[in-house]
Amino acid sequence: MAEVIQNEPIANGIYRMVVSGAPLGRAGQFHMLRIPGALDPLLGRPISICEADAKTGEITFVYQTVGRGTAQFARLLPGQEIEAQGAYGNGFPLIAGEAVLIGGGIGTAPMLQLAKELRASDPTRRIDVYLGFREEAYLEEAFARYADSVKLNIGGYVVSDVNFSRKATFYACGPSPMLRAAATAAEQANASLFVSLEKHMACGVGACLGCTCQTTNGRKRVCKDGPVFDYREVQDAI
Amino acid sequence: MPSNPLQLTLCGVTLNNPVIAASGTFGFGHEYAKIMDVSRLGGISGKGLTLSGSAGNRGMRVYETPSGMLNSIGLENPGVKHFVEHEASYMRTLGPAVIANLGGHCEQDYLEGARLLNGANIDILELNISCPNVKAGGMAFGMLPDTAADITRKVKAISKHPVMVKLSPNAPDLVAVARACENAGADALSLVNTFLGMEIDVKKKCAVFENVYAGLSGPAILPIALRMVHQVAHAVKIPVVGMGGITSAADALKFLMAGAVAVQVGTMTFANPNTMLSIIDGLADYCTSEGLQNLQEIVGII
Repeated sequence: MAEVIQNEPIANGIYRMVVSGAPLGRAGQFHMLRIPGALDPLLGRPISICEADAKTGEITFVYQTVGRGTAQFARLLPGQEIEAQGAYGNGFPLIAGEAVLIGGGIGTAPMLQLAKELRASDPTRRIDVYLGFREEAYLEEAFARYADSVKLNIGGYVVSDVNFSRKATFYACGPSPMLRAAATAAEQANASLFVSLEKHMACGVGACLGCTCQTTNGRKRVCKDGPVFDYREVQDAI
Repeated sequence: MPSNPLQLTLCGVTLNNPVIAASGTFGFGHEYAKIMDVSRLGGISGKGLTLSGSAGNRGMRVYETPSGMLNSIGLENPGVKHFVEHEASYMRTLGPAVIANLGGHCEQDYLEGARLLNGANIDILELNISCPNVKAGGMAFGMLPDTAADITRKVKAISKHPVMVKLSPNAPDLVAVARACENAGADALSLVNTFLGMEIDVKKKCAVFENVYAGLSGPAILPIALRMVHQVAHAVKIPVVGMGGITSAADALKFLMAGAVAVQVGTMTFANPNTMLSIIDGLADYCTSEGLQNLQEIVGII
């Protein structure tokens, strides 16, 4: 059982929760978070890792209160217990060379751990971060620690800020329209792009088949075979 | 060596305990074997199979509801042949009793599926009669006593494995269906499958699921499932395996007291993978505290 260390709002409807005692995991992976013993809401909520700190053993989740489950998380106080099963999913591959990270809304969260791992795996590589928000930015300052540049877009289309023709690996997480725009741009520029998908899921481990998506390599489970895919594989599923 | 108070015999098969992973919630065991000790389970009912397999449904497939969930997976499965060649032998290595769950959309599919399963090293064939019968306008085989009995009798005639018929709670007269399956030769019954439910997205003004209706499971259905298990268990002589929203040892005990010899657990495994293990521990503790030689002593006491 994990313990809540900190749980505070960082923007309107956006919370940052630090927990200890959960398996760490890495960028692009997620945990199924759940109030211990709760029968309503019943299922865990897949929340991606925003930061995993091997030194302190703490994981930071940044989540949006969208329904009853996440609203319940928002009421957790430091010292209370939370079930954090995981880390599940495949995570982002760390490809050598320059990296461009694109985060939209709450899809910004997993990009922070990705920036951290990309920086740690190669201190000299160039990392550029593009973040898009509807009204209010968050986490942007944290990116400054790992990235060479952080560009914000409030209320517009973050993908239009990105030059897909440059030689780099592109990573994106955000709402479907943003991912579709990124996939289209990547295709036109013949760029390498990894996207993190989101779907309703019940188990998070690949058993319930609730999050199956059609890919060019057959049916895949977003929770187990993903959530990170090469965009070429999942263009029909975004 | 002291005897195991949780041990039971189901369809001639010895189970170490009465806790079975419900079909459709445990795959063929691969995923959960990585995160829990699956060898401790009494049995595993594999993902529901159809003869040629299925890609499953499009659109939303799972949706949480108060204390439960709706699913419209659409029996996504790799087909009976794949199961026989790859999954059955894997499931055998896990330890628990191996149950293959077979569905179908027409009689021929069921019978050919049952015939192929004769070549698999399984313990029990669980016959899913909740599938829509294409030739009957999509009405499920398990809705009426006649159609349920007919498919049960024909599968029994072909299968070399014991046949446990999984009943649909959507049948207008569930007890009549249960009796009909018993008379048709079923070795055991399992119930309940999911209840047909529905959810609407008010913002989008549309049904959440492409098929409009979906199957409801989880704690929300427990009292109704328990009542149905009670009614059926008291109406037939063959063993009944109960399920529907079980989350704890206390819940499992309710189903046993209502007349089930064993239980299946499904939805709660999604919420917490260790649920079945804690239920098994809880049942063992119960035997100790109640001084039971065997847990079966409490079966059907209500």
